[in-house]
Amino acid sequence: MTDWNRRDFLKTASAATLSALAAGFPNRLVAAEAAEEKINATADTVIILWMGGGMASTETFDPKRYAPFEKGMPTQKVLSTFPTIDTVVDNIKLTEGLENIAKIMDRASLIRSYTAGDLGFILHSRHQYHWHTGYPPPQTVAAPHIGSVIARTVGPRNPAMPAFIDIGQRFDLGEGEELKAFHTAGFLGSEFGPFLISNPEEAVKAVRPPEGMSPARFANRDKFFKQLAAKSPIGQLGSDYQKESLVRSLDNANRLLSSDAAKAFDLSLEPKESYAKYNTGRFGLGCLLARRLTEAGARFIELTTEYIPFQYWDTHENGHTRLVDLKKNIDAPIAQLVLDLEKKGLLDRTLIVLASEFSRDALVEGKPGNEVKGQVAQPDIIEDLKFYGMHRHFTDAGSVLCFGGGLKKGFLWGKTAEERPCKTIENRVVIEDLHATIYRAMGISSKLAYEVEKRPFYVTFDGKGKPIMDLFG
Amino acid sequence: MKFNAAKILFLSGLVFGCAARAALTPEQVRQLPAPASHPIDFAKEIQPILETSCTKCHGHGKEKGGFRIDTRETFLKGGDAGSAVVIGKSAESLLVELVMGFDPESVMPQKGSKLKPDQIGLLRAWIDQGAKWDQGVWLGKVEARNLKPISPKIPADKKFSNPVDSLLDVYFSANKIKWPALVNDRVFARRAYLDIIGLLPPPDELERFVADNSADKRGKLVKTLLSENREYAEHWLTFWNDMLRNDYKGTGYIDGGRKQITKWLFSALESNMPYDTFVAQLVNPTPESEGFTKGIVWRGVVNASQVPPMQAAQSISQVFMGINMKCASCHDSFINDWQLSDAYALANIYADEQMEQFECDKPTGKMAATKFLYPEFGEITATNKAVRLKQLSESVTSPKNGRLSRTFVNRLWGRFMGRALVEPVDDMEQAAWNSDLLNFLAEDFVTHKYDVKHLIERIITSRAYQLPAVNVGEIEKDYVFRGPPVRRLTAEQFRDALTTLTGVGYASADAKIESAPAAKVPDITSPKWIWNMKDAETKGKAGTVYFRKTWNLAGPVSEARVVMTCDNSFTLFVNGKKAGAGKDWSYTELFDIGPLLKSGENLIAVEAVNYLPGNVAPTEATVVPGSENPAGLLFYLQIHSQEGGVDKKTEVVSDGSWVASEEKMAGWENLGVASATWAPAVELGKISILPWRLSDGVITRKLAENKPGTIRAALVAADPLMVALGRPNREQVVTTRPTAATTLQALEMTNGDTLSEILKRGAMNLSGHTTPSRELVQKIYEQGVGRKPSSAELQLAEQLVGEPVKREGVEDFLWAVAMLPEFQLIY
Repeated sequence: MTDWNRRDFLKTASAATLSALAAGFPNRLVAAEAAEEKINATADTVIILWMGGGMASTETFDPKRYAPFEKGMPTQKVLSTFPTIDTVVDNIKLTEGLENIAKIMDRASLIRSYTAGDLGFILHSRHQYHWHTGYPPPQTVAAPHIGSVIARTVGPRNPAMPAFIDIGQRFDLGEGEELKAFHTAGFLGSEFGPFLISNPEEAVKAVRPPEGMSPARFANRDKFFKQLAAKSPIGQLGSDYQKESLVRSLDNANRLLSSDAAKAFDLSLEPKESYAKYNTGRFGLGCLLARRLTEAGARFIELTTEYIPFQYWDTHENGHTRLVDLKKNIDAPIAQLVLDLEKKGLLDRTLIVLASEFSRDALVEGKPGNEVKGQVAQPDIIEDLKFYGMHRHFTDAGSVLCFGGGLKKGFLWGKTAEERPCKTIENRVVIEDLHATIYRAMGISSKLAYEVEKRPFYVTFDGKGKPIMDLFG
Repeated sequence: MKFNAAKILFLSGLVFGCAARAALTPEQVRQLPAPASHPIDFAKEIQPILETSCTKCHGHGKEKGGFRIDTRETFLKGGDAGSAVVIGKSAESLLVELVMGFDPESVMPQKGSKLKPDQIGLLRAWIDQGAKWDQGVWLGKVEARNLKPISPKIPADKKFSNPVDSLLDVYFSANKIKWPALVNDRVFARRAYLDIIGLLPPPDELERFVADNSADKRGKLVKTLLSENREYAEHWLTFWNDMLRNDYKGTGYIDGGRKQITKWLFSALESNMPYDTFVAQLVNPTPESEGFTKGIVWRGVVNASQVPPMQAAQSISQVFMGINMKCASCHDSFINDWQLSDAYALANIYADEQMEQFECDKPTGKMAATKFLYPEFGEITATNKAVRLKQLSESVTSPKNGRLSRTFVNRLWGRFMGRALVEPVDDMEQAAWNSDLLNFLAEDFVTHKYDVKHLIERIITSRAYQLPAVNVGEIEKDYVFRGPPVRRLTAEQFRDALTTLTGVGYASADAKIESAPAAKVPDITSPKWIWNMKDAETKGKAGTVYFRKTWNLAGPVSEARVVMTCDNSFTLFVNGKKAGAGKDWSYTELFDIGPLLKSGENLIAVEAVNYLPGNVAPTEATVVPGSENPAGLLFYLQIHSQEGGVDKKTEVVSDGSWVASEEKMAGWENLGVASATWAPAVELGKISILPWRLSDGVITRKLAENKPGTIRAALVAADPLMVALGRPNREQVVTTRPTAATTLQALEMTNGDTLSEILKRGAMNLSGHTTPSRELVQKIYEQGVGRKPSSAELQLAEQLVGEPVKREGVEDFLWAVAMLPEFQLIY
């Protein structure tokens, strides 16, 4: 597509995207072989459910032999600290604590063979960057988040709504700088960066006038501004793209605030019964927000349980007890999200992907045969409940749970060993292939590239991503 | 095994005594794309193919396979495998056979995209039509552009005092452009202030300038602005932080993988360090400037192209030479003629051990040489790394290296004029739209001993700079200079302009810099070092001590600033709210706490921690006899408040009137919690006692250098508003920032918390007085856009602001002014 098909583009593109192009964003689409590929999208929206911190797959979606806690038990015995439960799909089992999701596994595609990159030392921020951009840091250019790539390539669904929305992560804590590094559109330009909502309960603030300002005052302020701008002598100097892009961007912002789409951000508008089903905490309410935004025309949403060093999924200790809480937090809301979207006829065109930067094991750090420096003290014999769980960072397996978006239903992909190390033994999935799969669902070629500093930068690592075609229905 | 087919053909040619080749089979001939049916235009249709797909190996001085396409003659001569073409018979031409790729081992081009059928069709037609070349086309070795230190001839006419304008006059004549009238004083002043010191012109200075009738007042203004060393440094700090990957927070700083150069950089800017010295100190660094070439040391494994010496090679090449070595760090570059061995040879200078070359992250077994990109500027011969770095810095700053000055001159022209002489600015091998201008400015810069302020003056006093802004449009084709395009304030300029407008800047700086000594004000020596035990200055117990101090304030506070430090760390609470923290006793912290104080009783509460020796945080287990070490808290608060309409100054200092406790009571930092059980603090001595020996003037200096709330954006770490407006994460070198307005920016400006807070506090500041609204509106216009409002604007604004002035009206008016294109753009 070396020439935009102008009419088609104008039909689907928002004023935001148009202004972006008009403002001369430097990146041209590099056609290459990507143009020849005509892909029919099977999804219009992507929702990433990000289990930041390293979600232990044998404690969640890939159960192994259960060993209950006994004071004095050897760590070696610990593969899963939860019993296995059945699901509505015969050959797929999950762990205790995920009963609601178990009931809807007949809508799911479950990958158990995701393996993280080998980056030497295990660092959450580096692996998270790798997961979200498809490239291991450092890179010579600012690599874009997959959400930004999708925002840039297919544009917003509802022109009033930012194409890339990120829910649940605060940035003034912990590794804020490293986290910011991949939460950006990178060289694609900040028009395609994430719209950040750190607390779903307060999401409505993001689309309301500033705190303490009534809608009437807000409208008056805007009216006054336009009048004042019209009186400014600059107007007589003729139009130029700087001035136009300033005015247009303010119009876009206002359009969101006054649009119907803005109501989607307001969780208080959700019927009480339904709200209660999601209300297990911030993440649960985030699922509700994600559903409402999808209904209102969101394009790409990332919802996270939030990454804070040593908290949530980042279990360096108390792995078992913390997973009890975490699963309570995610089980019902995720199931409800899927069911609600299905009821509203949106599930088929909404691709939901639950993932984490790597998995965990009680003993192995890194990959068997390619182990890295240990960071967690784990005794050989477990005397205290706090050492019972998966505390080390395991990169040779991982669960990715998908729903909708044209993927198969009740489907299992990839196998892991039953004994330690519970590594991937069949159909290994690496990030570029997972991204290629998501891109394909959205109608995007894995060989698509954007030009930066005169070179092509591919949306999957060096254009090598291959979509997992077995996953598509 | 790539040349097998060609070698076999050649050998078979020898055996048969001629260069005859096996012809294509009929089946293969059938597969050939048909030759294009129109008359071929060599320049438009064939030359681009040759340049894109062939010059990498057969042009630009290269001759793989003995084949050079420098000229038609060499092209027709062919190479080791025989002639490239049979004129008139494309189906029998080796060139066509090779690009078809019938033999995948000898397909051409070997690297990069294969030719498409329509391209092959063009080549066929061209060959059949006689393989003509346009006159004078040269695809051989091209001399690097913008490298030699050449001076242009300056036209002899006396029309212009600035040679920039003499040269531009020639350009305008050639392009049939008439000199437009220069911009008026207000527009000029706003440009000059923003470009030189990054601030809006203060109304009184602006009016004086406009009213001034003296000759060359614009030149004088430029000189004056250039002499404001502190403001100048604060402005240009941002430009260099972006380019030198320097920041106050970010990846690597906490774990020692990255080092700031802030102190060195700021001092270099404040003292107008000559550019060649500046570059030399970055290339061959002291501990204070080594952060740049150290780069970011990532924990774990990184791609071979990102090890620190490679980062250094990439950074130096990009920033100082305008050369992109990033591609060549992994393989021979596809976008320029630099090769993998060049990148490694430069990186090797910074390596502790000779580097092995990795191609696409795989070892090659080949070891790196040691040389600068242009060895003719000086050889790197030393085995000792320190000497190597010195040799490199001498190479880079060699008088022969005309690229050094041209790259920098080009960047500054681009900053001030909105579009550089060579674009993109990091690709100095491209031609300038006016090389005479580039060469003049560069040589003038060098003649004046690389004086950056002289260069700035040269550009800003030219008539070229004073031309009216032009509408350049989004995509430029065949660029012709007619004047500077409209530019946008950077994030930092916008934020500082808001500070000017509202009085609300930043309360404390993240950048740790030493500023020039302030004018002599009496030292403030009243605070004492305190702790909860005698002799703490030598034998303080490790652990936490809580301190409280209460006092009464009668009237509303207009300004209150704290200067404090602690051995070792502290957290400050004011009336129950956390107000700041610190963890290095040698660096006094300043906090603006005005908004946290109130009339009546106020409470300062400090949680102070004395670490163990070795700066280790203490735990119960580790605080043992013998671990005592110096402990102390030093605190000073200066409050300006209104009492009975009179400005009153109150000081609260650390002394024996404070109380202390080792026990943490719930709510200890709040008023109303009884501290009757707390013991009086113990005074250890005055500011200058051992072991800390702080200077008596430390508090005075700190207060002087940081006026409340006017700390500039360049000195603080990024906040959401800055990020939205384009402050980059400086993990990569950033030489230009995108300027187009985006929806996310607009959302941040429309209802983001950061801006709202600024406007609220600004409105409080401004509406606190009894100024009539007309006067207030005029003042804001003058400060914000440098002119008086028209009567229509005045009428509108007064309506909004209200009379008497409503705080909310002022807030909304400030917002509207800040959103005006007239405010955000530089015309």
